[in-house]
Amino acid sequence: MVSPVRAELRKLLGLPTARVALVLGTLLAPVVVLLNAPYNRRALAAGTLSDPTQLGLRELGVGLIGALVLGVVVVSSEYTSTGDDAPGARQLTATLTAVPHRLRLLAAKTVALVLVVAAQAAVTAAGTLALTQALHGEYVPLPAPERVAAAILYWVLTALLAYAITLITRTGIVPLTLLILNSTVVSVSYLLTKLTDLAAYLPDIAGAHMFLRTDGFPVELAPVTAGLVMTAWVITLLAVGAVLFHRRDA
Amino acid sequence: MITIDHVSKIKGKTPILYDVSFEARPGRVTGFLGPNGAGKTSTLRILLGLDRPQTGTALVCGRPYRKIDRPLTTVGALLDGSGAHRARTARAHLRWVAASNGLPGSRVDEVLEVVGLTSNARKRAGRFSLGMSRRLGLAAALLGDPAVLVLDEPVNGLDPAGIRWMRGFLRDSAAQGRTVLLSSHLMGELAETADDVVVIDKGRIVLHGGLADVIGAHRTLEDAFFALTGTEAGGAW
Repeated sequence: MVSPVRAELRKLLGLPTARVALVLGTLLAPVVVLLNAPYNRRALAAGTLSDPTQLGLRELGVGLIGALVLGVVVVSSEYTSTGDDAPGARQLTATLTAVPHRLRLLAAKTVALVLVVAAQAAVTAAGTLALTQALHGEYVPLPAPERVAAAILYWVLTALLAYAITLITRTGIVPLTLLILNSTVVSVSYLLTKLTDLAAYLPDIAGAHMFLRTDGFPVELAPVTAGLVMTAWVITLLAVGAVLFHRRDA
Repeated sequence: MITIDHVSKIKGKTPILYDVSFEARPGRVTGFLGPNGAGKTSTLRILLGLDRPQTGTALVCGRPYRKIDRPLTTVGALLDGSGAHRARTARAHLRWVAASNGLPGSRVDEVLEVVGLTSNARKRAGRFSLGMSRRLGLAAALLGDPAVLVLDEPVNGLDPAGIRWMRGFLRDSAAQGRTVLLSSHLMGELAETADDVVVIDKGRIVLHGGLADVIGAHRTLEDAFFALTGTEAGGAW
């Protein structure tokens, strides 16, 4: 089992897209903290910033895009055509001839992705929170360790969600568009919460409640409940993806 | 030893393989011959556990490919393209393939040398010519020094020197006791390399035997092939 994991780590970290996602995902949140510093300092001094205790954790969110891309490319890179000479040829052929047992391969991919994203999330969280302390330490207390751990878990689960969806779609375009738009431009999930309380149980909305509190939400999930809801989404989608991957011709 | 036993495959709703059975034995080059679309690649993909047959079994050394632990040490396979992601260098590709089967990194440089890609080891696979892609695919197949080679159209895209090299390589592999199964639609090429020939047409095995037996009373393997498959040279396939 160690060899396939090592191979999957090599494969993921060797992809240019994954490297960009790793660097951008790690740097985005600290950069946003720096850019927002003048505004936040004034708002904190004036006492107009809502819930200042969550400032650092809230600004972590922007880096999540890195985890999303990592989750997608770990699968989509298997399905992209390897060259114009052989349009049907894909890396997946090499992958499956090297590790033909489908579920062992998926286990190795999952472990590799979790290791990379957890490391990235830990570094980003540490950097972002340290920077927030340095800039606004007098107003913003350091968050409790379990909330930081929950934030890291949220990153890992988000990457796994993107990974599971890509296993089902076999192309990165659909999940990337869907997940990036939803997490940046317009949050469809958030809009849905205006329509129905059930939207609070969507993975991204529920997941964020693992480490953030939002006021004025119709359904306020406790952190552990939120974690369980998001984990249930991930496990369900991963199970569907794994069954399809096992059954489909490569 | 390769054993394909009563394999049938339906893709979508179209049957593409009907009760395909044949063997490829150690120490011999077995040529798998047929026109484009006859079912050569489909058979090899089933043999390598990539696709599943509806019925029948395909075994390598008595085991289905999916059940073989560290399969690269038993079987070397070359299918369409190189299998390398276009953004990866030849060396990076071979390094992860080696790692997946617990093979030492030193094997990477050895196989690059064997296929003549040492000077292109740092080039991205997406910039490779067709011939170089085939060499890279073959390098990956050789990483585990396997006793069985399964090659789909290995000379496709190779230049004359490459074809000559491949022919020698296949003959040497068989002489060392390896089982070599290669598909081709190039009859002249197969007649030069193969000991045994399996002819497939429209998803059915039409003949299986030693090269001399298959040619029989015909002048060449090509004449025998057209007589067997009932297609006319130059006619519509």
